[in-house]
Amino acid sequence: MVAWAKQGHDAAFRELVRRYERPVFSLLYRMVRDRALAEDLAQETFIKVLNGIKSYRPEFKFSSWIFKIANNAAIDHLRRKSIDTLSLDGAPSAETPDQVRATSLQLGDRAESPLDEVESRELGTAIERAIARLRPEYRSCILLRHVEGYSYEEIAETLDLPLGTVKTYIHRARNELRGYLDDRRE
Amino acid sequence: MTDISMHLNTDEIELWAQGLLPAARAMHLADCSLCRVEAERERKVILQLVQLPKFAPSAGFADRVMAQVKVHAPSGDWTA
Repeated sequence: MVAWAKQGHDAAFRELVRRYERPVFSLLYRMVRDRALAEDLAQETFIKVLNGIKSYRPEFKFSSWIFKIANNAAIDHLRRKSIDTLSLDGAPSAETPDQVRATSLQLGDRAESPLDEVESRELGTAIERAIARLRPEYRSCILLRHVEGYSYEEIAETLDLPLGTVKTYIHRARNELRGYLDDRRE
Repeated sequence: MTDISMHLNTDEIELWAQGLLPAARAMHLADCSLCRVEAERERKVILQLVQLPKFAPSAGFADRVMAQVKVHAPSGDWTA
């Protein structure tokens, strides 16, 4: 399929989107917790992948390549958002007290943000809320490991991280998830 | 050879939770309540993670992507 797409066949491009749209969108949605934004980032990912398909090296798994681009898009967005809006004293551009309040860091809120009705239904379960509280780096590792079924080695290759770091992130992520889920029960 | 009395490490607990831990090491759980509790908690989290649903983007997603992709016809022509 990828070889066919490399020759520029429209049908092959569409088939690749069909195969990967759900896993890519799901990863992004759980990373940014905003449907419209996740869709924009997924779109950006596929456009980058398909327009750059000639540079794809077949020694790597194609899905790893897509997830790498998707994850980078999510991390870039979260970093930008954190610089733009999360400051203890509010964003530098905030001029009114309301703006300062709206852009101030609220300790402990991490990736949790108000969800609309659809998002609440989809991401409102205890496990989804616990995932949202993880650091983004932990979140992508744990999602690739247990939702996508990637091996530690594949995650290391996909995210350009040393194998030991991936193991540490995943173990810490599971520990934190257990902690959040236990807290909820108490 | 690993001593059966040795506690399971995190990799082994993950393997057990997935049903992949060799029987010789899994036997340790029968005698060690510490590891059993730890392994059971881990198994519950992993189970919840693997059961997470996959979400779909909204209808027409592929069309919106394809509208911005340069399709290279096999003849060598580029079309938007």
